[in-house]
Amino acid sequence: MSEAAKPGLLERVRTGYAGLAGGRLVVPAFLAFWIAVVIVPLLVLVAFSFFESKTFVTIYKPSLTTWSSLLESGRWEVAVRTLRLALTVTVIELLIGFPFALWLAKSCTSKTTKAIVLALLTIPFFLDMSSRTIIWRAILGQNGLINTVLLSAGAIDEPLEWMLYTEWSVSFGMVVTYFPMMVLPIYMSLTFIDDTLIQASNDLGASEAQTLRHVIIPLSLPGVMAGIVFTLGPALAAWIEPGMLGGGFVNLLSNSVESAYTALKYPVVAALSAFVIFLLAVLLVLLILLSRRFVDFGSIFRGMKS
Amino acid sequence: MALTSEQRSGWTAASASQRSLPYRWSYWGGWRVLAKWGGLILLALIYFPLFWLALMSISERPLSGIPFPISFRNYLALVEDTQWTGPFLASLAIAAVVGLLSMVLATLVGRAIPKSRHPGTIVLLAVLPLFVPGMSMGAALFIFLRTFLGLKLGFWSIFLGHLIWAMPFSLLMVLVLATRFDHRLLEAAEDLGASRWQMFWDIEFPILRPAIIGAGLFGFLLSFNEVLRSIFLRGTDTTMPVWNWTMAASQQSQVPIIFSLATVVLLVTLPLLAGFFWLLFARMDRS
Repeated sequence: MSEAAKPGLLERVRTGYAGLAGGRLVVPAFLAFWIAVVIVPLLVLVAFSFFESKTFVTIYKPSLTTWSSLLESGRWEVAVRTLRLALTVTVIELLIGFPFALWLAKSCTSKTTKAIVLALLTIPFFLDMSSRTIIWRAILGQNGLINTVLLSAGAIDEPLEWMLYTEWSVSFGMVVTYFPMMVLPIYMSLTFIDDTLIQASNDLGASEAQTLRHVIIPLSLPGVMAGIVFTLGPALAAWIEPGMLGGGFVNLLSNSVESAYTALKYPVVAALSAFVIFLLAVLLVLLILLSRRFVDFGSIFRGMKS
Repeated sequence: MALTSEQRSGWTAASASQRSLPYRWSYWGGWRVLAKWGGLILLALIYFPLFWLALMSISERPLSGIPFPISFRNYLALVEDTQWTGPFLASLAIAAVVGLLSMVLATLVGRAIPKSRHPGTIVLLAVLPLFVPGMSMGAALFIFLRTFLGLKLGFWSIFLGHLIWAMPFSLLMVLVLATRFDHRLLEAAEDLGASRWQMFWDIEFPILRPAIIGAGLFGFLLSFNEVLRSIFLRGTDTTMPVWNWTMAASQQSQVPIIFSLATVVLLVTLPLLAGFFWLLFARMDRS
């Protein structure tokens, strides 16, 4: 019996592999799994934001109470502050990141430099956020490196207080942390631009600024938008930076989520988290609509296919 | 006039092909220097804290401005303290499983996607978690698993959260090579009588290998350092990044231990990544 089962099993593994290799089974199975663990939780999250909680118990009756409570004085202020901070960080990243990506993609002639910079940009994704962020306390703090150096050099008479536990330090920490997320997508989209297009633009007498505006920026827009989303998303939901560098003085949406989470107010957690996703989606749609005026997206995808 | 423009373009084409290919563009002007240094300064700001972290981990007073006097007290405390070993081993185990699974899944799915009917839609769906901030995804999974399904959270839910986070990266890595894969190679192998397994193992796998290894490595490291999703999904269990986070957020007294622990992890991680990138770029240079 077992001897008969063995080749049967082997046969089954073989046909199973054949099915897998043919890709008939893999993609639908993966999609089903993915929808169950990604799409459904996100939908449940949105659904939960329409419930409310009373005395630590979630009441499963649709209402807008949780959403309207977001408009209450304190939380609304927090939401506006978070949005302002996140947008500031994103704009700074874009201003530094786009030129840098352009330099890296089109002006950097040394292959080694390019490889090293790309590696340096990728490595931070794999480093522990808490320790990377908390060390800024030892650099920016009242007794930190910068103050110690400045004091002993006689440049200042008393330690600079504004460098830590302020909005400035929180946005500074974010700018440093999220830089690779802005540069890498833009760099990718810039490498897809054929050098001959830029050459053609130059040959046709376009100035550098005109080439940048009419050739490079429109063609790199998908990368720019990806960069904006990858920076803005984490910035809106920044958890580590306000905690470590804000020292409780800079309240962002993540702090509200944390306190709602510890207070078991899950509908509030859901509404705040959904709010972040919602903001991101709105900004993305706005960006797409805005950029439509400059570039025909269909043509980009047509170009990619060929 | 038409003739001159033709001559002109002909001249450009000739000169472009004559010049060695990665040539400089002059549209950038003086801004190029500014662009370069702006980015490089930010890169320095990313890496200086790591250096400072390592330096302060051997300092007598880790939270002061100067690293001196030097002492290895924090490392001794790290060896004596056993609190961190549990979370550390848990992180290691979860990361290993996430790395392995995302490697296998990314390979299976990544090979199948180019052959499917709507590759664009599938890829978009698969990389969706990249666009959802960690906090929102963690909260969504927490509410779905804990409150909606009433499950008891623990290492398994941390693992699931990490898999969802790592999978898109792994998949994209495999897809980069899989979309360029020349399927005529497989047809040739089939004509020559290779079995399906031989076709995969002898032809597809060696070509996809850098991406597959990269997918595993990325999965491992992304999981090993993930904190936002773990905070929501941990139940009563703890991973190392969460432990680091709680220690850093709560008491100052534990901070020095985190410094030395993070330094040890950095000393292991950085050479590993440097080696991977060196191999990757060396390979890209050859091809």
